Amino acid sequence: MAIDRQKVIDDLSKIKVCGNADGIIPAFGVLVNQLPANFWNVFSMKILKAAGDSLYDDAAGLLENAGSECGYHTGWGIINSEEFKSVVGPMIKKETALEDTLHGAFAVFTAWGWAKAEIVELIPGEKMVVRAYDYYEADVKDSFKPKKPFAYMISGVSRAFMDIAYGDKPYPDGFGKFKCKQTKAIECGDSYGEFLITK
Amino acid sequence: MSNTFQAQHKFDPAAMRHYLNGELSVLHCHHYTALFTQLANDAKLLKGAQQMTEAAAETMFPPLQKYFKDNQIIDKKIRAEAASAYFAYIGLGKVQIDLEAGKAIMTHSHIDEGWKKKWGNAAKSINFIGQGFLMAAAAAIENSTPSAYNVDETESIACGKNASKFTITKK
Repeated sequence: MAIDRQKVIDDLSKIKVCGNADGIIPAFGVLVNQLPANFWNVFSMKILKAAGDSLYDDAAGLLENAGSECGYHTGWGIINSEEFKSVVGPMIKKETALEDTLHGAFAVFTAWGWAKAEIVELIPGEKMVVRAYDYYEADVKDSFKPKKPFAYMISGVSRAFMDIAYGDKPYPDGFGKFKCKQTKAIECGDSYGEFLITK
Repeated sequence: MSNTFQAQHKFDPAAMRHYLNGELSVLHCHHYTALFTQLANDAKLLKGAQQMTEAAAETMFPPLQKYFKDNQIIDKKIRAEAASAYFAYIGLGKVQIDLEAGKAIMTHSHIDEGWKKKWGNAAKSINFIGQGFLMAAAAAIENSTPSAYNVDETESIACGKNASKFTITKK
């Protein structure tokens, strides 16, 4: 792998953002916010508890979809940003450009605090396995014992990154080719989270 | 406005987590926020809007309360300005809070502008996160609890107005 993951994390974890004079953060082609991470967990817990068994999977699917659309649009913005081009760009080899970009994207994913996550297996255009050793979505285990894996954001973003790299059409028309199944979960007692992305 | 907020960022290189004034924080985009808000808005059977407002109030109250304590901010007007500065710093927009008059005016809003950017105008107000923030702000300013306040959005940027307007009343 051409990507120096630690250097990417060291460089990009230093980026600080804050609202402009209007309190808005336009960056990477989207509007950004930096809410307490707990907000996303608390709302997800509340809506899943309210959904009960009958609507649980429907509500969970919508939470995962939010992550995937976020990952698709923001992911595209990230890999086309000046920051990505300056830090990750020089590490990308022409012959493995898509794979290197994906590894770089997960280094950024980690640097920004979404999850301490990396790709542990990648079959270009077919399959990816992502492992997450620490992630804020797992913090729900302290107050809510989910019956099923709860890392909807990581699941959605991971499959979206595969769509960006190997979708049937280039961005913005290649969304939805890949799906993700979370196969291990810290929030359910495993020592790390694992995510299987396939077509 | 954001320049007046005293922010301390810390990155934990072991867990790869970011902290803003000691509070675990994470960057997300307007797509994520808009889709969560849409879920809350659509899930009427589950009281989704209320769940979102309460989640925002519960999770933004502690950082505001801590900020006032750490910076020894006692005066209520200065607290209101500091709450607005926090709101702006984290990218939620520009809001002026007047608790004496029981109102707040938001001239910029991440939630509303993000919604419009994604889908155009909304049929009704959708800033449940903003409502929760104002409950948290009112409570932190007055040394109370978020659940002691009702916040209603009476005009909305998402619906085409130039500014969003909120009423804040104590129960």
